[in-house]
Formats: sequence, C-alpha cells, structure tokens
Amino acid sequence: MSTPMTAAEMRKILASRKIERVVVLGANGTMGFGSAALFTTAVPEVTFLARSKEKAEEGLAAAIKQVRSPTVASRAKTGDYENDLASAVAGADLIFEALTEDMAIKKDIFDKVEAARRDDSIVATVTSGLSINALCEGRSDSFRKNFLGLHFFNPPNVIVGTELIAGSDTDPAIVDFIDAFSQLRLGREMVRTFDTPGFAGNRVGFKLMNECAQLAGEIGPLLVDKLVGPYTGRAMTPLATVDLVGWDIHRAIVDNVYENTNDEARETNKLPDYMAKLMDKGVLGNKTGAGFFKRGEDKSRLVLDPATGDYTPEEEIKLPDLGYIDEVSAFHRDGRYQDGMQAFLNAEGEYAKIARGVIAGYIAYAFERVGEVAETIDGIDRIMGLGFNAAPPSVLVDAFGAQGVVDMIGEAGLAIPSALAEAAKTGKPERFFTHRRINIGRFFVAG
Amino acid sequence: MAAGSEVYVLGGYQTDFARNWTKENKHFSALMRESVRGALEVCEIAPEEIESAHVGNFAAELYCMQGHLGAFFTEADPAFSGLPTSRHEAACASGSIALLVAAAEIEAGRYDLQAVVGIEQMKTVSSDVGGSYLGTAAWYEHEAEGISAPFPKLFGKLGDEYDKRYGLKDEHLAEISKINYSNAKLNPNAQTRTWYMNKEHALCQTDDNPAIGGRIRIADCSQVTDGAVTLFLASREYAEKWAKGVGKKLSEIPRIKGWGHNTARLKFADKVAESANDQYVLPHVRSTIASAMKRAGIDGVDGIDGIETHDCFTTSEYMAIDHFGITAPGESWKAVEEGWLEIDGKYPINPSGGLIGAGHPVGATGCRQVLDSYLQVTNQAGAYQVEGAKTFQTLNIGGSGTTSVSFVIGV
Repeated sequence: MSTPMTAAEMRKILASRKIERVVVLGANGTMGFGSAALFTTAVPEVTFLARSKEKAEEGLAAAIKQVRSPTVASRAKTGDYENDLASAVAGADLIFEALTEDMAIKKDIFDKVEAARRDDSIVATVTSGLSINALCEGRSDSFRKNFLGLHFFNPPNVIVGTELIAGSDTDPAIVDFIDAFSQLRLGREMVRTFDTPGFAGNRVGFKLMNECAQLAGEIGPLLVDKLVGPYTGRAMTPLATVDLVGWDIHRAIVDNVYENTNDEARETNKLPDYMAKLMDKGVLGNKTGAGFFKRGEDKSRLVLDPATGDYTPEEEIKLPDLGYIDEVSAFHRDGRYQDGMQAFLNAEGEYAKIARGVIAGYIAYAFERVGEVAETIDGIDRIMGLGFNAAPPSVLVDAFGAQGVVDMIGEAGLAIPSALAEAAKTGKPERFFTHRRINIGRFFVAG
Repeated sequence: MAAGSEVYVLGGYQTDFARNWTKENKHFSALMRESVRGALEVCEIAPEEIESAHVGNFAAELYCMQGHLGAFFTEADPAFSGLPTSRHEAACASGSIALLVAAAEIEAGRYDLQAVVGIEQMKTVSSDVGGSYLGTAAWYEHEAEGISAPFPKLFGKLGDEYDKRYGLKDEHLAEISKINYSNAKLNPNAQTRTWYMNKEHALCQTDDNPAIGGRIRIADCSQVTDGAVTLFLASREYAEKWAKGVGKKLSEIPRIKGWGHNTARLKFADKVAESANDQYVLPHVRSTIASAMKRAGIDGVDGIDGIETHDCFTTSEYMAIDHFGITAPGESWKAVEEGWLEIDGKYPINPSGGLIGAGHPVGATGCRQVLDSYLQVTNQAGAYQVEGAKTFQTLNIGGSGTTSVSFVIGV
C-alpha cells in the first residue's frame, strides 16, 4: 500500500476480526520470547511453545525478565510441540513462528501447524530473510492465503521498526489487518518490503556491517569502528553490532544474500574467511564472550587481531590521526549536523576516504535496491532508521547534499544511482527524507 | 478575545521525547536548534520572518549550568541575529507562560509572527538530584528540602485528599496510567512508546513498580525527559498571508480561541485548607479551565472534542476529570469506568499519551500540549487522531496545582 492507512481506517480493519489467542513457536529463543512478551501487551492469551515444556518455561522467564513485569505470566501459557501444539494451534487466531533460521526446521513445524490450525487463523513467521514463498510452498490454499512475514527486530519490545512481507498468495486483507494490528495494538512502525533475501532491512544493513568486517581484516576492527562510528549516523558501531547480533546470525544473513542474489555489490556480502575460521573455534561474538571485541578480566576492552585470532588491549593499538572525527563530532554536539557532514565530506587523508567509501557504498546500495526490496526508498529509509537505528540513506543524502553524495560515490569508484544523479543535476527533490515527525538529529551521535 | 486580536497557531515541531541527549553527547544548544529548525522547515517559514521569540524553561541553570536561554535563538540560525528574545519560567507551566506572553504581544499589535520554544534537558543528572531540583517548583524550604522525591509525595497527598472527601480506588488510577501508556504507543515521539505496561502491572506492588510517595507508584508517574517543542503564533494578517503561501484557507488554521491563567498558594497544605468548603479540590485549577472555555465561547466540556491535560501523576489526571466538568466533583471514577477517556471515547484525554506516556520535559510540556492539540484539530495526529476533532483544550500545571494555564485550540 503506497498511502498509509489513517487511524480511522485502521480501527475499522481492526474491528473486522479478533486476535485473542496467539501461539508462539520457538518461544525459548531470543526472538520467540521477546515477541511473545510483546504480544502479551495486546492479547489476553499467549502460549509459549518449545521442544519441551521446560524450555517454554525458560522462555516465559526470559520474557518476564526482558520487559521487567511479572504480569506477563498472567497472560501466558506454556507447552511443548508433542503434547500441546495441536490443541493450542487449533484454538489460536495467530500462530507466530520463531524457530531457528533453517528452512527445513521451519517447514517441519509448519507440517504440524497445517494439520492442526483452523482455516481462518493467521500464520506469521519472524524469519529475518528466508523466502516467504518458499516457506509456504506446497501448503494448502488457506495456509498460503493466511501466511506472511512479520519481521520484528531484536529486541522486539524495544525496536519498533518492523517489516511486513506478503507472499505471492497472501490475502491482501490479511496483510492490511496485521499491519493495523501491529500499529495500533503493538505500537509498531510497519514497513512493507518484498520477498527477497534479507528483505530490505537486513539486505541493506548487513551489507554495511559485512563490508566493515572485510575491512577489519585489513586495518583492524578498532580502526574500522572508529571510522564508521556514531558520527556517520548510527547509535552503535558496525562491528560492535555484529558482536551483539552474534557472528552465527550475521553469517546466516550474509550467506543467504550472497548465495541468492547477484547484484553490483555481491562481493561485499561475502563472509570474510577469517570470520569463518574463528567461528570454527567457537568465536560467536558477545554470546561466547568474544568477537571483534572482548572484555578483559579487569573489564578493559580487548581487540581482535583477525590475522592471528589473538586479542590486544585497546590502548596498546596505535591509531592514525583521526582529528577530523572530533571536528565532525563538535558540530554534531551543537546540533549542526549538516555542517558536520560537510566537514566529513571535505576531510583529507586516506582514512576519511575509506570511511566515505563505506558510507557511499551504503547509500548507493540502498538506492539501487529500490523496486527490488521495497517499493520506494522510503521503505528502506524507515527500516534503517526505525529498525537499525542508523541514519536512513535519504537523511544522509540530505545532509551531504545530492552533489556531495554523487562525488562521494564517484570517489569510491561505484556507479551513481540514477535518482541521485538526477537530483544532483536538477536540484530536485530538494529533500529526500520528508517525514515531518521523525527527528533526523537522533541519528547523528556526537563522538 | 476581540476579533481584531486573533492569535493563530501555524504549527510546530517536537523532538522525540525518547531521546537522551546526554547519551547522544549533545549540548542544550542542539536540542533548541533542532526543534527551532524543525519547526521552520515543517511550517515552511523562513527564519527572517520571525519577529520575536520566547523560551519557556524551568531550570536549565540547574540541569545544564546554562542560563540566558533566549539568546540561543541566535545559534539556531544566523538570521536570528538581532531578534528580540526572552525567557519565561513558571515551573512545569513554563511553556504555557511563554505562549501566553507571545500571544499577548500579538494581541497588542507589537508583532505579527512569534516563535515559542518550550524546552528542558533533564537527563543530565541522577534521579535523586533531579527530584531535588524539581522540588524548587514547590516551596523548597517547607516542602522539599531533605525530602526524597518531594513531588510524588505532594501528588500522593492530592489522592489522599480525594480519598478523604469522596473516596478513591487505586484501580481507577491504574486505568488512567494504562490508557496513557497505550496511547503513547501510537505516538512516534512518545518517550514510553516501547515500555511495557498494562493495568495489572500498574496495580502490581512489586519491585518492578515500587511505591515512591504515599499511594504513588512508579506507574503513576510522568517521566524524566529531554525534549523541546517549537510553535509559531501569528496575527490574523500574517496567518492569512502564510495560509495563502502554503495553499490553505484561513479557516483551516487553528486559533487560540480562549485561555485561562491562575495562581494558587504555593504550599499544597494551604491550597487544600483554602478549598475545604469548595466542591473542587483545586478551585483555582477549575477557574482556569472555566475561564478558557468562557473566552472561547464554549459552554462546558461537551463543546470540546478532546483534552491534553497535565498528568504529572495519575492523581492529577483524576483531578482534571472532574475539574473539566466531565463528571460531577468527586466522581472522576465514573469517566474511567465508562471508557470515556479513550481515544474513541466520549471525552478523550491525552491521546498523545500525556506526561505519563509521552514524557514530561518540564518547560516543554505546555507547548507540547498545544502542538498536539494543533495536530488533532488539523487531522495530522496520525495513529492517535481523535476522529473529526475541531476543538481541543489543554491544562498545564506548575507546582502542586500552583500555576495553572489552559488553552482552547480550535478551527
């Protein structure tokens, strides 16, 4: 839908059917229990299901801890797939699948869901990038009609940006209903994206992070996270984000994109060899206590040497002169974001150029994906801003100016997306990012 | 207001109240600059057009070690060099006081276009220190010195006074909290948008919802918030010209149709003693609301489509319900039970989420209430739009019901 629904339209759609019972499959996983907790804000009965009742109970405990409210329990039930799935699914209005990102595992649970569900129940998957059409291939008409992707970002109770992905056979009325339900009842910002690998958010967001991981193999993680730091328009630095997400999740996403797409920047989605090797040794980021960074016994930060797998104290690593970053940050501190980005644009030296190359790549990649992953740049903008907490590509274009961005992309040796070339030539549109109620300043963090 | 001295609201801009400007490592000047420039852009007004500017702020000297706030306009845009500026303070009603003065200058014919900024950066200090700073909105020496969380305790006493006179149930306060949090989920710039809340949580008595001042629990409280809101007020002459420029009719531009402004004694105990024989617990607040309605030519609460009120605590919203005349004095619980306060109810209160849900950057709140009223009556409130709203009324309170200001905003 190109025009957003009004509040009155959404309330009308919402009144057309009821969501009173939700079943969450894989409720012991991070996305499972986080999403289940979110559903308890709006739904009287949420059933946490996992391989064992014990695992489901762990999920419920984690949900309570995550949202810090014991009242989650009063709306929750728990059970396992073998004993409880059939009856819970039969009574459910919405079945929400949050199993591990594996097509075969998901398809297996959908066999059980299909056998038990009512014809009118909605089935949603939280997959972060597997094909919606492939996931429901071969299912009944009623299953495919009522099946869609509802991609919350982690943690689901905190990040409001959410992708809504219809399959070829999904009933448009179901898409509108879940859109209205998610907005009005769950307080989500919904972005409709297309059924392509990684959809819009992970396709564009992880490309930048993987490129940074590749770069870390050459110049080290510490320097990369300084160069593509908060001043470039992000709350969290790229490699610290990969550590937080988990290297295994990062790998699943970029491998899926690398194997199933063939775009102009394909090689930037290839997982660096050193990451694969270290993963074999058990390095998975924060969840294993070590990734690009880890904490020493005295809580000081240690930095990975990608070549050796060893860690060096942060303060022992010599960094080049990055004075330009202080200059940009000083502008940001006073709210002079455009001046800050102009200083970045004009900064001299090879490292500023590397940083500009990554940001130029991000912007160009996003603009080239319009029509492929979302209808307009606006969809990519909103999911980057509200899902990734990173400056939307259009916000950066407005801050650099269209000509500035075209120069940056040229400097990086990349092709100029036609919308940007046109804007540089004609001066139109004057602004790419036109959301009056989204603060653009929140994306530019000072130092 | 005389026909010749109409004051129009051209629109404005709110910073996202969920933002923590200290964590973003940003100075007060960034908060002000973002809101001013955002408003100029949204309203399509060139900075050169602004003739005078006002800042409403409570305590930047304490929170930010920064005074002389009007002068920060000159940092927002070079065109503001030479602009007449001033700063206004009346505790949590500071934003409304700035609006009143700006409106008066338009009515007096001094200026045709005014910028008004309500602003507060509060997350610069710990909650204990911040709580003590807020105590200066009361009579500090008598009511706040050496007392932890003085304001929750004062508004707990407001609840106690209701209980004494009319009876009060915690479940009604919990429902008020729940509605504000639910509405905030629909507001893209609300602070608590992603916080977990339901009625059971608001009622629960565990470490997740501790009591901090008598009957006041965490879920009953508004928030500590960084935020700024900029609004533009204009004379009829300027509004006419501006409307033409943006392709609108003058009749579509909201006006300040009425206002009320009142001050009661500082100490809460003195206020309550004064009202002992009154049917209203805070008669000066009632008088503020009623005079705004009277100036707007409105005969009671059925003449307005919604309210943005000062719910610094659930007890203050409970008080507002009967003081607005939604129920008879002492019967606010009826409006709660009937579901009248919800966005699609008979008397919607705080569709934005209010101070509890949207947040409470003290000096910005009065301006935020007027901006939300503006958005409602121009059908721009998005997911928290009250269908068909034409007239909204605000109530902004400083101290424990000490300064009160109310605006009627309508088309």
